Amino acid sequence: MKKFWRCHVCNDIHFGIVPPELCPTCKVLNAYVEISSEEAQKICVSTEAKMDKVEFRAAIEKFTEDNEFQVNPDKNRVDTLMEGIFNCEKNHGMKYCPCRLITKDFEEDLKLVCPCNFRIHETYKDKVDGECWCGLFKRR
Amino acid sequence: MGNAGAGFLKGDNKMNKLLMFHARECPHCIVMLPHVDRLEKESDVKIERLEVWHNEKNADLMRSYRDIIEPKCGGQLRTPTFMNTETNDILCGEVKYEELKDWATK
Repeated sequence: MKKFWRCHVCNDIHFGIVPPELCPTCKVLNAYVEISSEEAQKICVSTEAKMDKVEFRAAIEKFTEDNEFQVNPDKNRVDTLMEGIFNCEKNHGMKYCPCRLITKDFEEDLKLVCPCNFRIHETYKDKVDGECWCGLFKRR
Repeated sequence: MGNAGAGFLKGDNKMNKLLMFHARECPHCIVMLPHVDRLEKESDVKIERLEVWHNEKNADLMRSYRDIIEPKCGGQLRTPTFMNTETNDILCGEVKYEELKDWATK
């Protein structure tokens, strides 16, 4: 089961079955301690690291940079999806995929946060013209 | 955008047997909605359009069909999903007009 972990040196938060051995931010070894989801949420909320559409767009462009997929060149589609992703965040708390409904099981719904792990989906895997379900990302 | 079904509950005999769960900012749904309009114009078929990301009642209704929808839609509640509430027949995703028509009229 995935848990929250906090680097006791720099307060980086990690969500996973095991914590990183080396903190990717402060480079301290064996620095992570398990914490509650409430504590993780408090730390994350206090940083006020909300992104606007321009910043999110830049983040996903960077994410695709060294990957075999790209942000869909269809501008209208991307604009529609961005609207949906940000409405999901405003109304439901996270940047959920606008083309899949949340189940209200928090852990299950993490699979729907954009960018999702679309490389395992049948709409992308082994397909020359593969896309994520909503079409925000497509194979180059 | 049609949300006429928002007040319907499962088992309500006024509910159309064919449902379309769609989302306002889902590009596949935006493609499929005109197909639904055309199908209704060209046949006796009626499909209840239920927007799920901006209408909690519709979202709860879709979630109530999880066991039926998910096995046919990649294990998730994807939009658009077309559902026949009498037969539990599911059509998932963006398809050509003819495929929608075949599904709705079989």
